[in-house]
Amino acid sequence: MRNILVRGVAAGAIALLALAGCSSERSGGDATASSSAGSDKGFPANSLIGVALPAKTSENWVLAGDLFTNGLKEAGFQSDVQYAGSSTTVADQQAQISAMVTKGAKVIVIGATDAAQLSTQVEAAKQAGATVIAYDRLIKNTQGVDYYVAYDNFKVGELQGQALLDGMAKKKSSGPYTIELFSGSQDDNNSAVFFDGAMSVLKPKIDSGDVVVGSGQTDIKQTATDGWKAENAQRRMDSLLTSTYNGDKTLDGVLSPNDTLARAIITSVKGAGKPIPVVTGQDSEVESVKSIMAGEQYSTINKDTRNLVKQTIQMVKDLQAGKTPEVNDTKSYNNGVKVVPSFLLPPVIVTKENAAEAYANDPTLAPLTK
Amino acid sequence: MSRVKELQKSLFGGTTSNARQFGMIFTLVAIVLLFQILTDGLTLSPGNLISLVSQYSYILILAIGMLMVIVAGHIDLSVGSVAAFVGIVVANVMQDYSVPWFPAILIGLAVGALIGAWQGFWVAYVGVPAFIVTLAGMMLFRGGNQFIGNADTIPVPEGFRTIGAGFLPEVGPDTGYNNLTLLLGLVVCVAVVIREWRGRRTRREMMADVAPMWISAIRIVIPVVVVVFATLQFAGGRVGTSFPVSGIILGVLVVIYGFVTRNTAGGRHIYAVGGNARAAELSGVKLKRVNFLVMMNMSVLAALAGMIFVARSAASGPQDGIGWELDAIAAVFVGGAAVSGGLGTISGSIVGGLVMAVLNNGLQLMGVGSDRVQIIKGVVLLLAVALDAYNKKQGRFSVIDSLMRPFRRDAALSPASAVEAGQESGKSPVAG
Repeated sequence: MRNILVRGVAAGAIALLALAGCSSERSGGDATASSSAGSDKGFPANSLIGVALPAKTSENWVLAGDLFTNGLKEAGFQSDVQYAGSSTTVADQQAQISAMVTKGAKVIVIGATDAAQLSTQVEAAKQAGATVIAYDRLIKNTQGVDYYVAYDNFKVGELQGQALLDGMAKKKSSGPYTIELFSGSQDDNNSAVFFDGAMSVLKPKIDSGDVVVGSGQTDIKQTATDGWKAENAQRRMDSLLTSTYNGDKTLDGVLSPNDTLARAIITSVKGAGKPIPVVTGQDSEVESVKSIMAGEQYSTINKDTRNLVKQTIQMVKDLQAGKTPEVNDTKSYNNGVKVVPSFLLPPVIVTKENAAEAYANDPTLAPLTK
Repeated sequence: MSRVKELQKSLFGGTTSNARQFGMIFTLVAIVLLFQILTDGLTLSPGNLISLVSQYSYILILAIGMLMVIVAGHIDLSVGSVAAFVGIVVANVMQDYSVPWFPAILIGLAVGALIGAWQGFWVAYVGVPAFIVTLAGMMLFRGGNQFIGNADTIPVPEGFRTIGAGFLPEVGPDTGYNNLTLLLGLVVCVAVVIREWRGRRTRREMMADVAPMWISAIRIVIPVVVVVFATLQFAGGRVGTSFPVSGIILGVLVVIYGFVTRNTAGGRHIYAVGGNARAAELSGVKLKRVNFLVMMNMSVLAALAGMIFVARSAASGPQDGIGWELDAIAAVFVGGAAVSGGLGTISGSIVGGLVMAVLNNGLQLMGVGSDRVQIIKGVVLLLAVALDAYNKKQGRFSVIDSLMRPFRRDAALSPASAVEAGQESGKSPVAG
């Protein structure tokens, strides 16, 4: 009786052995061979390029996704552009990257949801022969990242610091100038980079006494804005105004890391009935560009997503042709395991004077500058 | 009896099998085949199967615990937060106190047990509904995660990553496959054969009807064929990969919990409590203890799932665990459990979870965006449960109903349900 069972099992097993044998991905360690070949000699021009982006929480990511879809198509690639879901973001992005690897993507561009939680997937991609480009956010603690492309955030800070000094000099010919400092959320690595960049310009002036921080709060922990939230910046500005700037003391400038916080600071100052100081910003948000044109906010930073995407696609094209993509920084960006070769785009400072020129190519912002 | 009827009876309806579960297995097979065609064979490729298992093993582990919670008539909304909390605690003790990874796992499980005892205490001994206790737990432990982690992402050491991202080592001769995975597959095949053989022997000893030989053959050949196929696929992945370690952990848990819920008195008590708590208590079931243990067990499994996810992600982050409870609950309900408690099986929940997983994975392979994936998953969840409800209303075969019957005997019978039960008992033999 058991014979039938055994025979049945054996027959099934043999049939499936034959079936499954065809799809084995082993055959003598060719995975490593193909990955090295991939970077040396390029790959077919119609290969699949994967792009994994965070959840659609900001305009910037939605714009980037559209630009990637169209740009890769124009360049002749097949593209797979994915956003993480809104609730299970990290797990979604991990699964999406795995799916891209399975589909045989040659290059995977990743705008990380959480930069430290992708190393397993990135390494799997690497072993499958794909090249990994970290887009805008550096992927940490893994050997698997090949390139990093982003705007130079230290430079952003420097430009903000310089703009603050220039703006104050324009309003008041001689110092000392009184300023206050704001920085971003402490859980965001970029916050410190912006702040350090700005301080590299401001610190010498503070030391020489040309610039005075009214409240004396110069430590990044004191100046931090939790979660990059406008309400927190506004609350801090309110209390600074009551504690330090009561009576006829004036405030000449405020270093703000981005536009949302800049507007919150201006709202706070207006509420207290004080003249609006020179306030910096970043991101070229629509409301802030309006504010700059109206003469309230002094400056913002233009980090055009179009250029960043264009640069990334250029890297993909170079890889396809078998060339080494151009990088301009091979020592600043250490992800904890290795220094990732980076291409850093220069940010552009925008004030009322150069706004029309800076946003000439931007369909949303250009009309505001007229 | 015609052969078709006989097949229906002994393959799907009879003995301990669960027809809804078989329905779901067919759905699973259909979905797999559909995506296999739509993705040009990528779905069943070794690389994809391996990532599928490692991506969803932690959700399936949660589904095991959730099944027991739901069967007992409760719900646990805190699992994601508990997982995240344990994840950050474990990552922290390894980073700040240089605890080696194995003791760290034990610490994690202990923290899970402690949290479970806390929630179980409120549910079982104070009598606060589990929905409220775990809703509170969801906020409590999410806050705890942020408090300890400062919303930072904390990396974990290499050894710890094994439980989430690890594979079996390559040993023995070069067969073109991962040898340990082959061995694992062999063990499963042998287990399938032995189980069927022992089942037949038991039925003979008990003078029960023994299914015809050819039915047994089908019951062995189909699973064995599937296992052999899966084994070869998993073993045939890229060199250095195999059946994932997290999948093995899941497999062991499924076997253990499957046995406990099916074959032990303690396990049956959970069903009794969920079917009719009052009746169960009167028949001597220690109601409070069962509720306490079920809630506690859930948090321990959540702790394990959290650690596996952290291991797979190589770091514990502030967004870990968000939405997991809902994935686990969905898997349990798609797998045939009843909202009112008292029925559902571990294997059903696993199949339910796999249906959702394959759906997710297949759609991702096709490049469908996560927005549409969520919509489709929502529709599938609704349809899976609605179909069963509809069948029941139409008086057709309904698993939920046929499984409810044993518990109705315990219940203080209302006339309506007595009549209903009487009518339906004619249609098919009362299940086990």
